[in-house]
Amino acid sequence: MNFIVIDDSKLDCFIAEKIIKNTGHCDECKVFQQATEGLEYIKNKTDKNETVVFVDIQMPVMNGFEFVEAFEGLADDVKEPYSIYMLSSSINENDIAKVKGYASVKHFLNKPLTNDTIAAVLEELNIT
Amino acid sequence: MDSQKKIKVLYVDDEPNNLFSFKAAFRFDYEIFLANNTDEALQKLEENQDISVILSDQKMPGKTGVEFFEDIRVKYPNPIRILITGYSDIESVISAINRGHVFRYIKKPWTDVDVQSAIDEAHKFYITTSMLAMKNDELQKAYDELDKFAYSATHDMRGPILSVLGIVDLMKNAEDMDEIKEMNEMMENAMLKLDNYIQNLHDHYSIRRGELNITEIEFEDVIKDMSDLYDIASKLKNVAFNKSCMQSCKFRSDDISIKIIINNLLSNAFKYQKKDSNDKQVSLEIKVESGTATIVVSDNGIGIPEQNMKDVFSMFFRGAHEEIGSGFGLYNVKDALGKVNGKIDVESVVNEGTKFTVTIPSK
Repeated sequence: MNFIVIDDSKLDCFIAEKIIKNTGHCDECKVFQQATEGLEYIKNKTDKNETVVFVDIQMPVMNGFEFVEAFEGLADDVKEPYSIYMLSSSINENDIAKVKGYASVKHFLNKPLTNDTIAAVLEELNIT
Repeated sequence: MDSQKKIKVLYVDDEPNNLFSFKAAFRFDYEIFLANNTDEALQKLEENQDISVILSDQKMPGKTGVEFFEDIRVKYPNPIRILITGYSDIESVISAINRGHVFRYIKKPWTDVDVQSAIDEAHKFYITTSMLAMKNDELQKAYDELDKFAYSATHDMRGPILSVLGIVDLMKNAEDMDEIKEMNEMMENAMLKLDNYIQNLHDHYSIRRGELNITEIEFEDVIKDMSDLYDIASKLKNVAFNKSCMQSCKFRSDDISIKIIINNLLSNAFKYQKKDSNDKQVSLEIKVESGTATIVVSDNGIGIPEQNMKDVFSMFFRGAHEEIGSGFGLYNVKDALGKVNGKIDVESVVNEGTKFTVTIPSK
């Protein structure tokens, strides 16, 4: 399984990467502190390996919602291998409701990412 | 009453004689608009949105004064309506007043004194209601800001705490000493970020609620304070910090506001440097002459893209990917400038640097 982490906080990227690698199911983990770079990476990727994307909501320049909107505008065959999860430290009802409105987003997850949340994500995607 | 700007009054009456005598009697006291019928009155209202008092005759062909007032009430809610009537039908007048369509009524034939006092009272009422509307707008703004704040507080204050909790969780199973050291450093950064946010927050509310404390300001002392704050950062980050100060007259203002302004501008200048540059520069130049302080903070850092220029002073706007930004700094600068009647200009070129010029008058 491949993973992409998009978060403007270097620390949260570090945590996510560690936890992902600890699962033992990680073939490749890419980390981006800027959503624009993450999007470029997805656009240019040619292989069709299944990939889980964790994206933070509040980021400067391009926030999580803008990222998802841009992602949803990509061609279907580009989008196909990705499962997107949105992460946030905010407990804002509007944000949580907004996440549900995006077809390409699987779930909203609370920060910080823990072994348990990752385990639940992998289970949902039938990876054991 | 404001002598420069006369109260604008519209008078509607189907009898030209009444219109003439009204204008003759009051043209020196008020700016008068006349209308022969309600259509003409509507046109005058449309053309002159700042008419504050409307007087209308009750008995007119086509529409009564009360009906006319009822019609215009939705589209022009602000002008105060006064009914003039010689009509014995007092019932319709009473009901119009009770339904809130009419502020006052004047009996025909009117006396100058009656009309004048009615117009003046109406105008006072108009001013009060307008002030109320303004206050409501301000209140709405404060609410909006509070919403934004509540939103950002959960993110900016909880964020670092959650990050540290995440690290603590990871550390439980970490054995490699280097890795533990690395995590430790990261936790430190997260806490510094939180501390920085809380300090900004404190600044924000001291500007907002704090009383001005006007004292004589020696800018040499201000520069010294800033050196104490930034000389270490300057060495650590390898950024040259140039300071100059020329004060040729006394200057009085609010010390805290001035320090908040300079501190935030410097903090940004140090923060938004080009990472790989060998010649990082920040300069602070203060010049005080003829009762005005000009403070220039400039850097040769990453600059601000043109499309972000208009947003840089907005609350919680973050124009760069730097994770340390809270979106509070320049907003606080703008607030503090408001308190000391200062102005700010920004010039910036991407990849060449940014220059903020602040001018503050002595109080």
